[in-house]
Amino acid sequence: MDKKYILLGIHSHVTRMRKVTVILGILATVVLLGCVSEQTKDVREQIKIYGSGASFPAPQIENWIYEFGKINRNVIVEYASKGSGAGINDFKSKLVHFACTDPPVKESEWLELEKIGKPIQFPFIVGAVAVIYNLPVEELKLDGETLAKIFMGEIEYWDDDAIRSLNPNANLPHEKIIVIHRSDSSGTTEVFTTYLSIVSEDFKSKVGAGKLVDWPVDKLGRGFGGKGNEGVSAMFKQTPYSIAYVELAYALHEKFKIVSLKNAEGYFVKPSSETITSAISATSAFVPDPSEGYKEDLRQFLNANGEKSYPIVSFSHVLLWQNYPEKEAKAIKDFWKWVLTDGQKYIIEGYAPLPKEITEIGLKAVEGIRGE
Amino acid sequence: MLRELKNRIFICYLLISAILVIFPLLHILFSVFINGVPVVMKYGIDFLTGTLPAPNKPDGGIFPAIYGTFLMVFIASLIGIPLAVLAGVFVAEYPNNTISKATRSLLLIMMEFPTILVGLFVMAIFVVPTGSFSALAGSFALAIVMLPYVATYTEQAMRSVPRQFKEGAYALGLRKCRVVFSITLKIAKKGVVTGLLIGMAKVAGETAPLIFTAGNAWRSTGSVFEPNGAIPLWIYYLIQQPYANYHEIAWGAAFVLMVFFLAIFLPIRFSMVRS
Amino acid sequence: MDKFKIFLMPSVCTVFGIIILMLLVFTLNSIAVFKQEGFAIYTTNIWKASEVAEEEYYGILAAIYGTIYTSTIAILISLPISIGLAIFVSDLIPKKIREFFIIPIDVMAGLPTILYGIWGVFILVPSISGIIKFFYERLFFIPLFSYYNPTGFSYLSAGVLLAIMITPFATSLIRESYLAIPNIYREAVYSLGLTRYEATKILLSYIKPAIVAGLLLAFGRAVGETVAVSLVIGNAFNIHPSLFAPGYTISSLIANQFGNAFAYELMPSALFSAGLALFSIGLIVNFAGLIILKRWGYA
Repeated sequence: MDKKYILLGIHSHVTRMRKVTVILGILATVVLLGCVSEQTKDVREQIKIYGSGASFPAPQIENWIYEFGKINRNVIVEYASKGSGAGINDFKSKLVHFACTDPPVKESEWLELEKIGKPIQFPFIVGAVAVIYNLPVEELKLDGETLAKIFMGEIEYWDDDAIRSLNPNANLPHEKIIVIHRSDSSGTTEVFTTYLSIVSEDFKSKVGAGKLVDWPVDKLGRGFGGKGNEGVSAMFKQTPYSIAYVELAYALHEKFKIVSLKNAEGYFVKPSSETITSAISATSAFVPDPSEGYKEDLRQFLNANGEKSYPIVSFSHVLLWQNYPEKEAKAIKDFWKWVLTDGQKYIIEGYAPLPKEITEIGLKAVEGIRGE
Repeated sequence: MLRELKNRIFICYLLISAILVIFPLLHILFSVFINGVPVVMKYGIDFLTGTLPAPNKPDGGIFPAIYGTFLMVFIASLIGIPLAVLAGVFVAEYPNNTISKATRSLLLIMMEFPTILVGLFVMAIFVVPTGSFSALAGSFALAIVMLPYVATYTEQAMRSVPRQFKEGAYALGLRKCRVVFSITLKIAKKGVVTGLLIGMAKVAGETAPLIFTAGNAWRSTGSVFEPNGAIPLWIYYLIQQPYANYHEIAWGAAFVLMVFFLAIFLPIRFSMVRS
Repeated sequence: MDKFKIFLMPSVCTVFGIIILMLLVFTLNSIAVFKQEGFAIYTTNIWKASEVAEEEYYGILAAIYGTIYTSTIAILISLPISIGLAIFVSDLIPKKIREFFIIPIDVMAGLPTILYGIWGVFILVPSISGIIKFFYERLFFIPLFSYYNPTGFSYLSAGVLLAIMITPFATSLIRESYLAIPNIYREAVYSLGLTRYEATKILLSYIKPAIVAGLLLAFGRAVGETVAVSLVIGNAFNIHPSLFAPGYTISSLIANQFGNAFAYELMPSALFSAGLALFSIGLIVNFAGLIILKRWGYA
């Protein structure tokens, strides 16, 4: 007996396999492959559009793709949610037809894109970042300043005076606050830290805003990082006395307890379609011409005025080229036109449709897409 | 007395280790079965022919993944098998050659090599230059993973062919090439086929080499030059999503993958017992 | 050289070519990060991604630590069990039904690793989190148990899952060499009137090299395992003595971060250099295992 078979992880002996088995095996493979190629024949006529980017709008995009697929069978859209940064990069290397990003593209990146073609960018949905907590307390109210202190680790216990004074009736436990944040480079983090930087000078100088920031609370042993909204959700669920931020649709889907945040006018609000829409309509949104997308300011909806406005609200943007090969151009136009018109009816819980005047901007840009 | 006690303890240890291994192993197979079967039943035939649904929509299926897995295993076999068989023939026919000894060791090392590195490698030399993820890139990666299995089995099977056959053939004045392809390989055919099937079963379940090569597709089935899904790849992505229906589909896909694997593996394994 | 040999040469060259090219690709792509940071990529624990290239800094020490930590846990769990099972199957099970014990083990050795992954995420990790809670509450002062991690994603989860994955492989290696001990020895040992324990002890000492080789090869397998581990280890840049801490391994780092890497200047190079480290560890461990097997006539 030769010992080398040992290495295969498979028991030794020279094999004598029955012919029947071989033939059956091959037959099965042929039949299956046959079915496969049969199935794909009618797919040949279809046009595929690839997109990638932010995970923030991913559930909504999946839903659109699903609904769009029902009425338009000739176009198949594939979206890979792998983060805004990766999406822009895929877009730049022309691996995908479109990319989604939460914060508008930065000027330096925009100039890079302009070297390759004519990029256009416009918002297609409004979303919110929800602050979630895992405490046996029915309602929790926080203001921006306190929230920043919690995420910096300066407030250590749940029954700290700062939290107690905002929630006089709540039975807050004397337990350490566990902070859970994103560990990957994410648009959600950028929106959240930008908000904290607006409401807290301290946060701005000590931590700052970005897709990936160095959380001081980690070094105190009370901060944990999770990968993606799903990683954060998983950790949060199993960690009593924790606080975290996730994209609203996730929070609603998982039925997490959501913090009521104090808005610019001093009212405590929870995120919902109503309070998101209020924030958008309170500000006369400045959306630049899609061909100059980088001029948009992420901060414009954060901490917006209005009694009902939720303070952490942002657009999600799509990046497209102005020119595509003929067939693809039509499919891309069809899809995005549908998203900005009929698609706005299929908004899932956790997002809000765009105001009319803003869809107009997007629509105009989509109309301008040319086939070549 | 003490000797007897030690012996008892020893036997208990053997029993416990057997249980400690067999239990989790059966538990894994059992979990995949218990969680996967109801899903496949619930979705019905759609599960094999449909595409990925939206989050929380109770329909759809894993067709693009099945398609991608078949396509890539097929192409990988086309690329990998001829190469592997020839390399195996070389090692078997020239066993005392230095190159052949080195090749043998290399093949054994490759068999245990981290497959994620193969994926990264193909990404660097194929995906980046061509500018696109594709089933072809995935197939290249799988072919490299498959190669050492097929080659080693071929070599083993050829070396088990009794000398008399070869000597007889040479006595007839046949050339080496003819002897190998018309006589030795024919006799060793069963062993070689076993190797091919083991290699195919192995790569059909591979995830790591595909992450950076095959791209992925949830709703479409593409040509070899386009991104395509694969069953293991789908499971890997779906279980990282928060949606209950995606987790369901992941379990169903895991069940399908397990069935494919067992369908190839068990017949081979049982045929070994019989001989 | 005969013609047939020349005909076969290209395929052999391709096999070598693939490995050499692979080494080349990993080395060349690592140069950028080596130039910037030198060897510090392997000795620091920093993962600072930035859109500004000058601010980027990568150190993968946490991943190297995690790789060795989890693989060691796996080996420590797996070794005694796989030896026990190997002896159990060889000595206690009658020859006729032995195959029915061996087949499931072989099935598991070849089972797609993603199936271990899905089981790990949905079944193992939740149970581990219970274990963590139990030990942390009682023994938090011992460094090994000192990390509070209610999620369950940890070195321990990865180590246990790896142990389950490599045991079938390790036990086959040990079983084969144990069964291959010539009958003369076996009979001689039993004729001394030894108990089963004493006899087995002597027989095991006879195949020690095979056990060491099996250990090395199983370790190599554990080091290279990617998807199952990346799903349960928690993916955090951590260097902590506790079993309960979340961490990274080299392969899970690559699997997790490479998708984003090209958005940054230096990150791809940093990940290739991580790959290079994995490449070297894999090569050394497997090579050592094979040499031992060869020297003792097992391969």
